[in-house]
Amino acid sequence: MTPRIELVGAADAPLLARPYYEGGDPGPIVGALAHVPEVLDVTLPFVGTVLGPTSIGVRTKELVILRTSALLACHFCVNTHSDVARRTGLEAAEVRALRDEVPYDTVFGDPAERALLAWVDEVATGRGPVPDPVADALAAHHPTHEIVELTVLVGATMLLNRLCSALALPVAPEALARLDEEDLRWG
Amino acid sequence: MGVIADAVADGVLPGRVWFYGNYHCNLVCAYCLTESGPRSPQRRLTAEQLVRMAEQAAALGFTELGVTGGEPFLVRDLPATLGRLASILPTVVLTNATLFGDRLLAELAPLAALPLSVQISLDAPDPDVNDELRGPENFAKVIDAVPKLVGLGFRVRIATTVPGERLDAEDHERLCTLHRSLGVPDDDHLVRPVVRRGRAEDTGGAIAFTPDDVAPELTITADGAFWSPFGPTVRDGRLATDLLVSRQTDPLERPAHLLLRLVEGRPRGDDARIGIR
Repeated sequence: MTPRIELVGAADAPLLARPYYEGGDPGPIVGALAHVPEVLDVTLPFVGTVLGPTSIGVRTKELVILRTSALLACHFCVNTHSDVARRTGLEAAEVRALRDEVPYDTVFGDPAERALLAWVDEVATGRGPVPDPVADALAAHHPTHEIVELTVLVGATMLLNRLCSALALPVAPEALARLDEEDLRWG
Repeated sequence: MGVIADAVADGVLPGRVWFYGNYHCNLVCAYCLTESGPRSPQRRLTAEQLVRMAEQAAALGFTELGVTGGEPFLVRDLPATLGRLASILPTVVLTNATLFGDRLLAELAPLAALPLSVQISLDAPDPDVNDELRGPENFAKVIDAVPKLVGLGFRVRIATTVPGERLDAEDHERLCTLHRSLGVPDDDHLVRPVVRRGRAEDTGGAIAFTPDDVAPELTITADGAFWSPFGPTVRDGRLATDLLVSRQTDPLERPAHLLLRLVEGRPRGDDARIGIR
């Protein structure tokens, strides 16, 4: 798939974007956002905060990110986060379940995680308030501040899903190679 | 005072804001940073944009304006716009001086009372050498225009762009004799190197630079705000973005604050180490 835009390389990186290039290729999301440095300047810290380490555990976050990305059919995010999920400890079967390759209630037995995934499904695909039973189930396992953060995480992931899908951003070859070893490449 | 005014007053930020009024030009100079020529996309800033941002610049605490291009005087309403700009802040306009016929001079004449100066490019004391770089009959047109502008009461500056950092001593002296004879004093003669950007990327003697080598003069174009007027260069039709500060230019406060943030993030010192101004 050919990206719909030319990605900004290190030689053309605007001043505000340069720090992101200092460690080498920062990836296609930075390469796209660098076209608008003032947007990159606020988006990357926001995305980094919401998707990066916080008081909510990495496993929980990856469940949310990968499930949301699968619901929005983002080729870049599903593949990238399938790889991240495997490297952060999710089982291959869990990855497949989050991608709807098998029903996820056959893989995820923990009531807290099933409540979380039901919440994600409603936030990512719903058109109004999350139904009471879904909200009540999540609230049984997460305090208010975590509900807020998890909801922002779904929203931030959806932002990236649409950015990466619409612009056809390319998945890192090394991530695809690792997925191929387990026959986990998506799409 | 606001933070921008403080930064200008303290010398942290230069006081001048540059506007690329347009990118098209009637000349095709060998070393042009912006690959300007008759067929270049105009990418104009409108008169209303220029005036609005000039007012914002003054309110923020900037102290001068510069208008460059392209050839700014290809924009028909530029004299009227310059009058409005120079009524807001002292303004310098950069030009190749090839368009100063009687009508344009008549339009400019009333502006001589304003703090408006005209910077004209002249690269060599010999017509053939100058015109090889800048275009046929350029030398003759400059020699004709400068005394007329001086006679109207304008401060005229001569900018000489040469490969490498120095002009040959003999040529330099001949050029100085020439500009003095035209009414331009030594203080208003700038000599600067060809910068290795735009059409001059492959020019021998052109000088490469980093942001720390050039003054961080806020530069506004139709494509965004840049670190310096040497930033928004074009090569093979592509705009360079390495010195892009922001795409947003209006309100001017936004790129001004981002520029200040970038400036404050670098070591203090000589802001123009290779003297490019």
